[in-house]
Amino acid sequence: MLRKKLFNVGFEAVATVDRRPFRLADLARYPLFPPEFLDFVRRVLPSELDHDIVQTVVVTGRRPISSTPRA
Amino acid sequence: MPYFSDADARTIISTTYEKAQGSRAVAAMLYAPEELAVLPPGAVALAFGVNHPVRHAGLVRGERVLDIGCGAGIDTLFAARLVGSDGRVVGLDMTPAMLDRARGHVAEAGADNIELREGLMEALPFPDESFDVIVSNGVLNLSTRKSRALAEMLRVLRPGGRVALGDLVLTDTLPEALMKDPTALAV
Repeated sequence: MLRKKLFNVGFEAVATVDRRPFRLADLARYPLFPPEFLDFVRRVLPSELDHDIVQTVVVTGRRPISSTPRA
Repeated sequence: MPYFSDADARTIISTTYEKAQGSRAVAAMLYAPEELAVLPPGAVALAFGVNHPVRHAGLVRGERVLDIGCGAGIDTLFAARLVGSDGRVVGLDMTPAMLDRARGHVAEAGADNIELREGLMEALPFPDESFDVIVSNGVLNLSTRKSRALAEMLRVLRPGGRVALGDLVLTDTLPEALMKDPTALAV
């Protein structure tokens, strides 16, 4: 989805250059995800999805030498 | 259709990060020890990115770089070391409290090729074609108007300029109850 968004606005050579699982234990390191939210997630989200439903990525792209934005 | 307005999202993010306390837990997960050793401890402790986009940006000396959502400045400082004194890095953030922290870390590092600015990723306060490279780390996922933010990135990059974006993506649909929770806007 992110790669598609970059392409749609006019980037080229769009690629995902890093992709890793991002688990609940990783979310717990961030202030945006307080313990009560993580408890909520554990209740709502099937445990088998914790391993791969969120991933961290690095997406790269390039502005074409000659272009106008598509959106 | 987002579950949160722009204003709601900005309020949640600003109020959370302006009182955020660091722990090095995020930095230890994402960066190599030798990378962290050369940076101010405060910038390391307040790293809240989700990946290491600077590692993939291919920065070279002399380039002009924009770090969108610079927070306390860890990736801004990394980028500044890579582009050297001939280059320039602008760190942009919408939260004044985080910019204040970043200013302290930039001063502590003695980096004179960094400028810090307040602004929104959906309305970048820069002229067209101002930068060679844009990096951003765990920030685009916080926008309720991601395509608008990406279009702004395209506008301020020079032709041939590059982006390297660290972000969180979903591989499946979250239950609706989760998506309506304010903290779910981060994914």
